Amino acid sequence: MRGVMMLAVSAGAVATITAAVLLLPGDGGPPSARAELPAAVSPAPGDPLTPDEIRRAGDIATDAGPRAHFAAGRAELLYVERDDGKSDEGARRAEAYVYDYGTDTLTVRTVDLARGKVVREVSGTGTQPPPSKREETRAAELILAHPRLGEGMRAAYQRAAGKPLRSTADLWLRGLIYTAPRGDCAEHRCVRLFVRLPDGTFLDTSRVVADLSAKKVHILEW
Amino acid sequence: MFLRIALAAFVIAAAHATPAPRATLAAASGARPAAPAGNAAPAGSVRTAPTGGAAACGSPYLVDQALPNGARWRMCWEMRTIEGLTLNHVVYTPRGGAPQNVLRSAALAQIHVPYDSGEPRYHDLGSLGESAIALTAADCPGGERRGTYVCVTTRARGHAHLKDGFGDEEARRSRQGEELVVLSGYQVGWYAYVAEWVFGDDGSITPRLGATGSLAGTVTTPGHGWPIGVGRRHFEESHSHNVFWRLDFDVDAATRDAVEQYDFAGTGTKRRFMVRTRFATETRAVNRRMRWWRVLDPRALNADRHPISWEIDNSDSAEYRGPADEAFTRADLYVTQYHACERLATQNPLPRCRNSVDRYVSGERLTDPVVWVNVDFHHVARDEDADPMPVHWQGFRVLPRDVTAKNPSP
Repeated sequence: MRGVMMLAVSAGAVATITAAVLLLPGDGGPPSARAELPAAVSPAPGDPLTPDEIRRAGDIATDAGPRAHFAAGRAELLYVERDDGKSDEGARRAEAYVYDYGTDTLTVRTVDLARGKVVREVSGTGTQPPPSKREETRAAELILAHPRLGEGMRAAYQRAAGKPLRSTADLWLRGLIYTAPRGDCAEHRCVRLFVRLPDGTFLDTSRVVADLSAKKVHILEW
Repeated sequence: MFLRIALAAFVIAAAHATPAPRATLAAASGARPAAPAGNAAPAGSVRTAPTGGAAACGSPYLVDQALPNGARWRMCWEMRTIEGLTLNHVVYTPRGGAPQNVLRSAALAQIHVPYDSGEPRYHDLGSLGESAIALTAADCPGGERRGTYVCVTTRARGHAHLKDGFGDEEARRSRQGEELVVLSGYQVGWYAYVAEWVFGDDGSITPRLGATGSLAGTVTTPGHGWPIGVGRRHFEESHSHNVFWRLDFDVDAATRDAVEQYDFAGTGTKRRFMVRTRFATETRAVNRRMRWWRVLDPRALNADRHPISWEIDNSDSAEYRGPADEAFTRADLYVTQYHACERLATQNPLPRCRNSVDRYVSGERLTDPVVWVNVDFHHVARDEDADPMPVHWQGFRVLPRDVTAKNPSP
C-alpha cells in the first residue's frame, strides 16, 4: 500500500495565504455550473440554473449555516448544482455544497428557489465532491508556501515563462480529489493538482497532495 | 529522502499542443429535414397516449432533431458542475410512430485512470463542468454550438441498409444513414477528453469518450511502459481509462422498468440455447461472449405485442480488474434501483449516500433501474501518440429492440 509522508509547513505563512484566497459567498459569487443564458426571464423546469438562481441559492444556503464558520473561513460554499431528482420534477431547486474544513463535514443544502428557503439538509463526513475553483487555487498556494516545493515550482515557472511567478493566477490549475484508505486523506479534503506552465508543459505533481483541511502538503511515496 | 524524490519529480512533461480540429463532415451540412408528417405510415407502435409530452426545457438547452429518414430525437442538455454534459428526457420518435421515452438522465459517471506501475491512480471527475473546453466552429462541423461548450451536429454514418434488386432497379433498396451528435470536451490535466453522445437514425445510442491532448510524460521502467523517445530511454507508462456512464432508463415511465440478461448456452456444440435472466434485485454483471442486456417496460408493447426495450451491448472493454479497494472495477455493468443521491460510480459527491457503484448494489428490489456501464481502455503509448495525441475512443451501444414492429426506415 502507498505510504504518506507528512511535511509540516510553516503554519503562519499558510494561514496568511489561506486568508487571502478565502472569499465569503457573495463576494464575487461561487464557481457554478456553466449557465449559458443571460439571466433567463423565466427558465423552463428542466433548464439549468440561471446565474441569478445560482447566486440566490448560494446566499440562502450560506445564510442557513453557521455564519461564524463562513466568516472564519472554516466553512465554504463549493458550488451550486441544480437538483434534478425525480421526486418533484416541476420545482426549481438547487443543491448548495458547503464544506467545513474544521470538522471535515460536507453539507448539501437543497434550496427551493420559489419558496426562497432550505427544504432539505444532509451532512456527513467521508464524502469528497470534486474540488472547486477556489480550492484549486488554495491547493496551489499551499504548494507555493512549501519551502522546497514552492521553490521548485517558482524555478520551473521562471524557466518556462522567462519571468518570475507573481501568483497562482499565472498558472493553469486543475484539481482532483485524492483519498486514501488510511491516514489524513481518509478524512481530510485532499487535492491533487495538475499545473500547466505558460510554455505548455506540465509539472509532474503526481506525488504531491495538498491537504486543505490540515493546510499541509503531503508527499506520496510509492 | 522522500522530499528529494518529490522535488526530482518536478519534471517537465511533454509539451502540450492544441489538438487539431476535426475534418468537416460534408454530409452534415445543408438544411435540416422537416419533422415527420403526422400521417406517415405507422411504424408499428400501438400506443394511444404517446409518451414524451411537452419538452422540459427551452432554448438553447432543447435538442429536437429530425433526421432525413424520419427518425426524431429530442432531449435537454445541461452542463453540470460535477458530471459535465448531462442529457435529460431523451425521447426517440421512429418515423411515423409515437414518441418513446428512453432515458430520464444520462451522463459520465467516472473516468478512473490507474497507471501500470500501481501509482498514480486518478479519478478524473473532477468538476467536469469547470473543465469544459470552449468549442470553435471547427469543433462543430455542420452543426450548431449551444453556448460555449456544447456542439449539436449531424453526420453521415454509412449505409443504413443495402438490399440488391437482382437486376430490378425499382426493387433495389439502398440508403445512407445519418446520426445526431451532442458533444463536449474537457481538459483534465494533460489529457483532453471528447465526450460524444451519438443518436442514430436507426434508434441506436452510442455514448463514447475519446482521449486526446497529450501523454502524461511519465517515465517508467520497460516492464510498465513503451519506449516513445529516441532509442530506449523514455518509457511512457501504460495506464487504463476505465470509463463509467450512468444511464437512468425510464422506458415509457419511471416505474415498472425491468432489466434482463441474455446468454446463449452451448460451448463446443452446434446447438445453442437462449438463457434469459431477469434481474429482480440490484445486480452486478460481467461481460461474456454474446451476452447482452435489455431494459424494458413489460407493459409497453409494440404493434406485434412485443415489449418495447433497449438493448445494451458492451463487448468492447479491456475489462480492467483492480485491487480489493477498487471493487467498482470488478464488473462491467451494474443495475441499481434509482436513488437521487447515487450520481457517480466512484467518489460519489453526496453525503449519507454510498460512495461507489459496487456498493449501490445492496439487494434492493428493482422497479426503477439505473444502468451503470463500465468500458475500459488500456493505453500502451506508441510513437504516434506524440503531440497532439491522436484520439482513442471507448464506448458502447444501446439499440432499440422491438420499439417498432418493423424497420421504420423508408
